[in-house]
Amino acid sequence: MKVLPSDPAPARGPASAMIEIDHVSQTFRTSGRQAHLALSDISLTIEDGAFVSILGPSGCGKSTLLYIVGGFVSPTEGEARVKGRAITGPGPDRGPVFQEFALFPWKTVLGNVMYGPRQQGVKSAEAEAQSRRLIEMVGLKGFENFYPKELSGGMKQRVALARTLAYHPAVLLMDEPFGALDAHTRTRLQNDLLNIWERDRKTVLFVTHSVDEAVFLSDKVVVMTRAPGRIKQIVDIELPRPRRRAELLLDPRYQKYVVEIERMIDDTSEDGLQP
Amino acid sequence: MNARALTSDILLGVIPIALAIAVWQGISSFGYAPVTLLPPPGMVFSRLVQQLFTSSFQHEIASTLFRLFAGFSIAVILGVGIGLAAAASPAVNAVVRPIVRVLAPLPKVALYPALLLLLGFGHESKITLVAADALFPILLSTYYGASMVEQKLIWSAMAAGTPRRQILFKVVLPAAVPSILTGCRIGLVISCIVVFLAEMISSTDGLGHMLVKAARTFQAVDMFVPLITISLLGLILNGLLQGLRSYLLRGFPEV
Repeated sequence: MKVLPSDPAPARGPASAMIEIDHVSQTFRTSGRQAHLALSDISLTIEDGAFVSILGPSGCGKSTLLYIVGGFVSPTEGEARVKGRAITGPGPDRGPVFQEFALFPWKTVLGNVMYGPRQQGVKSAEAEAQSRRLIEMVGLKGFENFYPKELSGGMKQRVALARTLAYHPAVLLMDEPFGALDAHTRTRLQNDLLNIWERDRKTVLFVTHSVDEAVFLSDKVVVMTRAPGRIKQIVDIELPRPRRRAELLLDPRYQKYVVEIERMIDDTSEDGLQP
Repeated sequence: MNARALTSDILLGVIPIALAIAVWQGISSFGYAPVTLLPPPGMVFSRLVQQLFTSSFQHEIASTLFRLFAGFSIAVILGVGIGLAAAASPAVNAVVRPIVRVLAPLPKVALYPALLLLLGFGHESKITLVAADALFPILLSTYYGASMVEQKLIWSAMAAGTPRRQILFKVVLPAAVPSILTGCRIGLVISCIVVFLAEMISSTDGLGHMLVKAARTFQAVDMFVPLITISLLGLILNGLLQGLRSYLLRGFPEV
């Protein structure tokens, strides 16, 4: 067994804010006249190159927060900024990856991955070459001409990741991306995601309800409370990188983080309607 | 689908038709209906084959097909166009919805006398009637297909840099193709029925006119020939549309 370096990952240079969420609240009108407060006064700064997970019970508005950063939903109150500019809509600097994959069924794997670069005005031949490299990077070489329906869930999510990486977003917005996958596939994709992330260290905002997943992947875990969603606590995960799953599972520090965060989650769901 | 499954599918489809023809044959063989009024299928089919090589019959088929295609094409263009516009714009929807609610249940054939007076006895009145009848199923299925496009497909495209005004053609239209084609299939069957009906009511040519002319002179065999012809045409057109459908939907999960 390898010995893990004892000190945490060295701090990177002076970090600049990539995403700022500034006193954001979100209210939804339900079919009755009732207003449902989904997010309440969230403020959060995510530094450039950080891998941040948002963790919370279902219905705590964590996906809504991600959609606000994506520009898909505008907040009822407050403001979200990316690189200091207010977010007014979706843009190629923020690439989403959804639990439901959301691949274009009428396009092949290659067509899906090429979509972004083509929209960005990259010439067809070049977009194709780039896309083929990305497809190879996510481990799907040979599947370029398959349609999404011919792929398994894990493969679809790999395509979705490649499709998003293809237009070089500065931020990856991942909305429970591995939530629909079986445990084995989920583990493999987590490992592969970390490997890919290690190469260029994009900023990642990762929504999940799995504590293990959040601790394994992240630099920072934002624990949210049940509706209305508030930030309960932000936990810095000071585990060395690159992380190896097998080693981490034996690491007492990892275990401590998991237990600590699970306790927080239990606290938040006590007053909730956990079945 | 592999060749074997396809063959068994065709066989399964042929059996009920063969049964219907057998019943028809039975009715006339056992004398339940006189041959002069209900000619046996053999007689009708041999007459059909014989007719197929005459230029006058070819002309009737051509007229009917022309009206059918023209009317159906107009219905597809208008139906898909209006359906998409209504799904994309609440303002258009507010205008279209009440009009569709009033006009959709109206028997369009009731407009035919007015159409005849306005457009004359030629192609125009019949094409208009076909288009009016085939329009609604295509419009409605386009509208519902376009309204139910998965939100996250649209978000994915917007994040990739697709401007809002292009979303309609880059995402909504292709995603709605399965339900548009379902509407087209219904519209095509309606077109076959309506073109025939219009020609029966008033025309100087076409298959429907042939039937009425034969009926008035008690030519029972000649009466059945256009009937069989329009069903065969319907069958062929439906097959072609099915082929187009499986090509266009090759990426979509089976419904």
